[in-house]
Amino acid sequence: MPLFASLYNYARWLTGETHEAEDLVQETYLKALRGFASFREGTNFRAWIFRILRNTFLTSRTGLRATAMQPIEDDDQFVADGDPETIFLHHANAEELRRAILELPLEFREVLLLADMENMSYREISEALSIPVGTVTSRLTRARAKVRRRIQEKR
Amino acid sequence: MNEHLSAQTIESYADGELAAERVPETEEHLRECVACAGKLVAQLQLKRSIREVAWTMPVRPRRRFWPAVATAAAAALLVIVLVLPRRGTELADLHTTILASANPVDVISTDRHTVKPWFEGKLPFSFPIPELGPTPFRLAGGRVVYVHEQPVAYLMVTKGAHKISLFVGRDVAAPRTDAFESVAWSKGGLRYVAIGDVAHADLEALRAAF
Repeated sequence: MPLFASLYNYARWLTGETHEAEDLVQETYLKALRGFASFREGTNFRAWIFRILRNTFLTSRTGLRATAMQPIEDDDQFVADGDPETIFLHHANAEELRRAILELPLEFREVLLLADMENMSYREISEALSIPVGTVTSRLTRARAKVRRRIQEKR
Repeated sequence: MNEHLSAQTIESYADGELAAERVPETEEHLRECVACAGKLVAQLQLKRSIREVAWTMPVRPRRRFWPAVATAAAAALLVIVLVLPRRGTELADLHTTILASANPVDVISTDRHTVKPWFEGKLPFSFPIPELGPTPFRLAGGRVVYVHEQPVAYLMVTKGAHKISLFVGRDVAAPRTDAFESVAWSKGGLRYVAIGDVAHADLEALRAAF
């Protein structure tokens, strides 16, 4: 099955647990097969199937809870410069980093994972999440700033 | 020295997303400016660490997952089998019904120049009827039938005393039946299905004639 490991890993980061991630990937494949006709030739297959997974997640119980708990636009202060040179993340505890990612609000977690875990381009991410490229860029910046801050707090 | 690079520029550059025309000046600046180069390194480290951590969430699914995947795959296969070719027994049923009818065809003619024009205006497509003279087959006539709510051309072809049904349409598939022989093929964007109680080789010969 194409992209199985990627989708499953992504699903685990979205749901935060194994059982639901399994159901999510399963449902995604079924929807993808059923809706294959809606896939337009020449568009990005990876972005398409990630979009299905995400939309499926958003309508699930956990997804609804995740979106209900957060305002769509993050209201906390965005620190423009997180002083990255002071952070040496390879010394950072992997567990701390993992926790920092998991604690990110969904809208930031997803861009960060698609960019850094999946190595998707901004354009692909914008297709997968159905948001403009500009929003991808700003969310990504803020997501990374949040992760940095979180790790710095732990120091 | 130029102005320092913005955080956004460094981030885009690290992501490989900086506009191509801005790459040379950015790289030139990075070669000379330790502060910006340091920020870039930190950015790349963050990316790499996130990537490593993101993939260390164990990807091994629990054992009960695999039966579920198998079920999903089986369901998908079922979808493909049921929906895509839409195979059923419809054509075999039509074949039986038509042959049992007192008026099996609406245009009765052995002449393809009579049968082909008869279909004009009755079907949303057209198809050639070859000269069967040199073959053991003879045209007996034709009519329009409906399969899955779509008009389909029906030709009756004989071989000796045997009657063969030939269906021509956009979405017809060989029936799942053991009662008759059938052969299906595609040509000119249309699907052809021949059904009859003749040898399989005869249907293949008919296919070759078309």
